[in-house]
Amino acid sequence: MSSSKSNKIVKLESSDNKTFEVEEAVAVQSETLKNMVDDGCANDTIPLPNVNGKILEMVLGWCKKHVDETVTGDELNKYEADFLDLDQADLYGLLMAANFLNVKGLLDRVLQRVADMIKGKKPEEIRRIFNIKNDFTPEEEEEIRLENAWAFD
Amino acid sequence: MDSTQYFLVAATVTALCFLLALHAVRSIAFSRAPKSEGGDFATSAAKRVCNCVCSCNGGFADGDMVVGAAAAAERVTGASMMEQLVPEITTHALSYLDYPSLCRLSMTNSLMRKAANDDNAWKALYHKDFTLEQDSVTPANGWKAYYAATRAIVNINAEFFNIIKERSIQAMSHFWRNADYVKCVHASGELFSGYNAVVQSWQLAFNWEHGVNFQVRDVRARVLTDMAWVTMKTFVDIDSGPFNVTNIYEFHNGRWYMVHHHSSVMLMDAEVEQQLVHA
Repeated sequence: MSSSKSNKIVKLESSDNKTFEVEEAVAVQSETLKNMVDDGCANDTIPLPNVNGKILEMVLGWCKKHVDETVTGDELNKYEADFLDLDQADLYGLLMAANFLNVKGLLDRVLQRVADMIKGKKPEEIRRIFNIKNDFTPEEEEEIRLENAWAFD
Repeated sequence: MDSTQYFLVAATVTALCFLLALHAVRSIAFSRAPKSEGGDFATSAAKRVCNCVCSCNGGFADGDMVVGAAAAAERVTGASMMEQLVPEITTHALSYLDYPSLCRLSMTNSLMRKAANDDNAWKALYHKDFTLEQDSVTPANGWKAYYAATRAIVNINAEFFNIIKERSIQAMSHFWRNADYVKCVHASGELFSGYNAVVQSWQLAFNWEHGVNFQVRDVRARVLTDMAWVTMKTFVDIDSGPFNVTNIYEFHNGRWYMVHHHSSVMLMDAEVEQQLVHA
C-alpha cells in the first residue's frame, strides 16, 4: 500500500466504459474510493457500473476543485453555485452518484439544492417541478388539508 | 353469451390489476434496495479487481440488480425524481426542510405523504427548532403531531408577552381561564388566586409600569393532551430582571387558556451577569 499520496493515480471506469484517471488525493474525496485505496484494492481500474460517464466527470471535477489549493473561498462558492445549475435528470444522477461514492460535501450541496427547490412552494407547484402524480381522492385531500392546516397560519 | 363476456371482462380486469401490482412491487423493490444495490456494485467491483476483502457496504450479489438499477434510472428521467429517491437519501433530504415545506411535500401524493410524515424526520426537526430535551419521550400521536402542538403552545406563550407589552387588560382577561383555581405569582412575590384577583393584579401592573421591552429566551414547552407547561427566562433591563418564568395552560373548548403564571428573580451569578452584558 502506497503511503505517498502525491504520485498515485486512481483509474475509474464509468458504466458506459469511459475511463478517468485522477490523483489519489482527488479520488479519496469519495469515502467509498478512499476505503478501496486504504484496503489496497485500487491498483487496477475500478469499475463503477452505476455511474455514467457524464455524471462521473462532474463528480471528479468537483473533487478536483476541492483539492486544488489555488482556488479561493469565493471562487469555490461561485463554482459550487454554478455547478448545481442542472436539469432534474442530471441532479438526480448526481445525487445517486454522490450517495454511492459517499462524497459528503457534494451530497450536502445537492440535497440543499433539492430542498431549496421545494421550500416556499405550494403542493401543486412541487408536483409540477418534480413530476409527482397526485393520487389522492377528494376525501383524502380534505383530510390532508386539515392535517396540515396548523403549519400555514 | 353473457357469462362468457362477463368472464372476459373479469379476466382483463384481473390481468390489469396483476400488472399494476407487479409494477408497484417492482417500484417498491427498487426504492427499498438502495444500500444493497450500492453495496452490491462496490463488492462485485472490488471482487473483480482484487481478492482482498474491501470494507465497502455489504450487499447481496445479484446480477439482476445491475439491470434493475439501470431500468430504474431510465424510468426516473422524466418521471418523479422525489419518489425514486432511495430511503436513506430521502431521510437525509428531509432534514434540510423547514416545517411548512415538509407539510407541503406531504400534501403532494400518498408516497410523499408517507415519507414526509416520517416520525424520525419530525423528531429531528423538533430537536432542531425547539429543544434537544425530551429525547426519551414517545408522544402519543407521533412526533409530527407533537411538533404541531408545541408550535401552537410556543406561539400562544409569545402572545402572552405581546399582551404585556401592549398592556391590554381586555386581551389579558380573555387569555386567562375564568376559574377559581387559577393563580398568578408576580415577580414582586405576591400571589393572586382566582380569576378576578388575577385580572385585577394585571390591571394594577399595567397601570404602574411603562411599556416594557423584554427578551424571552430558553423557551421549553412540555405539551400533553389538555395541559401544557412552559418555562422560560425573561431579560428586561439592567435594573429589573432577569426572571425565571413558568406558565401553565389548559385546553378547553378548542383553545388554550392560561391557568398559572409564576415569575421570580433569577439568582445572579457570574455566568448570568455575563449573559446580560452580551444581551
